[in-house]
Amino acid sequence: MDITESTAGSVKVAALKGRLDTATAPAAEAKLLALLEGGAKLVADMTEVHYVSSAGLRVLLKAAKQAKSAGGAFALAGPQAPVREVLEISGFDKILAIHPTRDAAVAGIG
Amino acid sequence: MKLSMPEELLLLMLDDETGRLQERAAPSGDYALAGAVLAELALAGRIDSDPNRLWVTNTTPTGDALLDGVLAQIAASKEQMDSKHWIETLGADADSYRETLFQRLVAKGVLRQEEGRFLWVFPERRYPAVSGKEEREVKARIFAVLFNDEIPEPRDALLIGLCRAAGLFSLFLAPHELDRVQARIDQVSDLEELNRSMSDAVREIYAQIARYAPMV
Repeated sequence: MDITESTAGSVKVAALKGRLDTATAPAAEAKLLALLEGGAKLVADMTEVHYVSSAGLRVLLKAAKQAKSAGGAFALAGPQAPVREVLEISGFDKILAIHPTRDAAVAGIG
Repeated sequence: MKLSMPEELLLLMLDDETGRLQERAAPSGDYALAGAVLAELALAGRIDSDPNRLWVTNTTPTGDALLDGVLAQIAASKEQMDSKHWIETLGADADSYRETLFQRLVAKGVLRQEEGRFLWVFPERRYPAVSGKEEREVKARIFAVLFNDEIPEPRDALLIGLCRAAGLFSLFLAPHELDRVQARIDQVSDLEELNRSMSDAVREIYAQIARYAPMV
């Protein structure tokens, strides 16, 4: 999985690309948690993620937990329909801020 | 001492005073125990799942013989099946898992084994807790998640789903407390696909019981 970092004002953006599953979860988790250090605000842009497994969901849960405990913020942007469906079945949409686009996510937590 | 999720679940299923398994934990307790093994394998990065299938991602043994036996069993399966299939299949082996786990908890000094007689006739083995400290710690962890709004750790979310599947919350909590936290139990449990599949499997048992009960 490729993760491309950028910033939009005071918000960091990590654009994920590929599958988020057991194979990619450890590296993705390390990256997202590092970006959230010091109470940062982070948007995970999911536009190019076409699959998220249970292990992948745990990465997002840990990132959201870390953001909350460090006084930062974490939001998802632009999940594709199948990924969005998985997020909804598991109730992640009640715990995480999920926005339709990257700009909306940045505006939402900025 | 760090206990595995199957060990923690078995402790929670024991009646503290008598050292017997809570009857209300059966029959769904078998599925929950199978689920606990799968949950521990998932957290160890050996299996992964989605709503349609469960698969082995890494066949490297964990060093826990019980987990490694199940890992090999799943790896040997010709067809890729879903979590519910494995919960039901492995649930059939719950008796042997329990035996293994009881022996381990005795070896770790958490439980002690007592031979006795049930109704003065039937030989019966009981496993009272030595200090009860381990079980208190597990319960404290669960309640800390349920009675606040923090985002749970995956391990805690999985354990709460196991307790839900085994019907343990009605033993831990008074009815009015359970009413108050039921929505939170469901929210935390449903975060994990394994927990949702366990609930589906348990619901089917009770549907079967309801269907055949009038004939008995």
